[in-house]
Amino acid sequence: MNPPSLPPVPRRSALRLWLWLFVLAPLLLFLVLAASVASFLHLGSDARALRNGLIKSSGVEWRQQIAVNAGHLTLDAVRAGLSRVKLDPAARAALQSVRSAGVGVYQLPPGASRPDRAAMLAAADSTMTARGWERVVGVMDHKDLVAIYLPGKNVSVHHLKFCVMVFDGKEMVLVSAQGNPEPLLQYALNQSDLCAQARRLAQR
Amino acid sequence: MTRYPLAIAVLAAGVGFNVLAGPPPGQVDFGKFTPPGDGGQFVEIQINSNLLSLAAQVVEKQQPDAAKLLRSVQLVHVNVVGLTDGNRAELEKRVGQIRHNLDAQGWDHNVAVQEKDGQDVGIYTKTRGGEALAGLAITVIQPKEQVVLINIVGDIRPEQVAALGDKLDIKPLKDIGAALKKPAPKDTAPKEAAPEN
Repeated sequence: MNPPSLPPVPRRSALRLWLWLFVLAPLLLFLVLAASVASFLHLGSDARALRNGLIKSSGVEWRQQIAVNAGHLTLDAVRAGLSRVKLDPAARAALQSVRSAGVGVYQLPPGASRPDRAAMLAAADSTMTARGWERVVGVMDHKDLVAIYLPGKNVSVHHLKFCVMVFDGKEMVLVSAQGNPEPLLQYALNQSDLCAQARRLAQR
Repeated sequence: MTRYPLAIAVLAAGVGFNVLAGPPPGQVDFGKFTPPGDGGQFVEIQINSNLLSLAAQVVEKQQPDAAKLLRSVQLVHVNVVGLTDGNRAELEKRVGQIRHNLDAQGWDHNVAVQEKDGQDVGIYTKTRGGEALAGLAITVIQPKEQVVLINIVGDIRPEQVAALGDKLDIKPLKDIGAALKKPAPKDTAPKEAAPEN
């Protein structure tokens, strides 16, 4: 007895699927690459919220000079790429410490009135507190304003996050980073003359 | 509800305990300060136990004594506000109120120094169980410059303030700590200098 005949293989559908994949794969790859490149040019969400709060409170249109961001994947790739390269121990320690980092630099346009730093600090506090951060340092002196924020909870030496804002009356710099500072601190503590060097630099 | 009386009692006690816990006994609420205008100085530092513990972990291997000192502290709070014609009266009044509150809350007023140039220093300590210190509060009015308020929660003595400032690299702490170490100059008039602990 002959077996019942099988239904015809849908060759045309399979072919169509492969065709779509062939067309879509490069497109997806392009989109992923574009998203990755775009992510390099945007700050992380906390730093972005801090920047928006500061800009809004200052009432001035700031000029963005630079905004770069490197996330876990990027830095993991850099670490892997440089793993066999002979690096300066300090650079190696820094690379091992940082898991993600972002920097934004913004400038006041010429002729703009100097923003109220107290209002900027209050706005920064309000934004960051709402996101679970605490200000550990706030300094205003002459034209300068410095604020350092750390997460309100779960601060650990193995997983440290921070956001720093520095404004010198003309330029505002925002830095956010996340990582494990142990390798870098270990390197610093092993340098017997590092503290003396730092003091000498600070006195200049 | 009546099936779990023990669980309900434990939960109620826990909630009640949390409500009653509040801030540690050595903590002082200096309140919020408004930065002075005209580029006046304003410094606010608040380092809590998380960060202090982190700092202790970092220095543990190389400097065990420093780690021990850092672990004995739960909170370091420093306020420096520059005095201007606009805020002088208000800030001096506010420091007076803080000192009054500390006296009223049973803090020991260990040192009160008023120098000829008008510098006014007050050092207060709060003891826990008669021996260990629960907190330290320092108020300084430098009439031509600034008001400095320091609160350190934990078992730390005034003579250790400079070392703590050194380890945390906080300049106002270093300055005040160094001033506390110096012998009292001749033109000072200590009002009270009898540590009770």
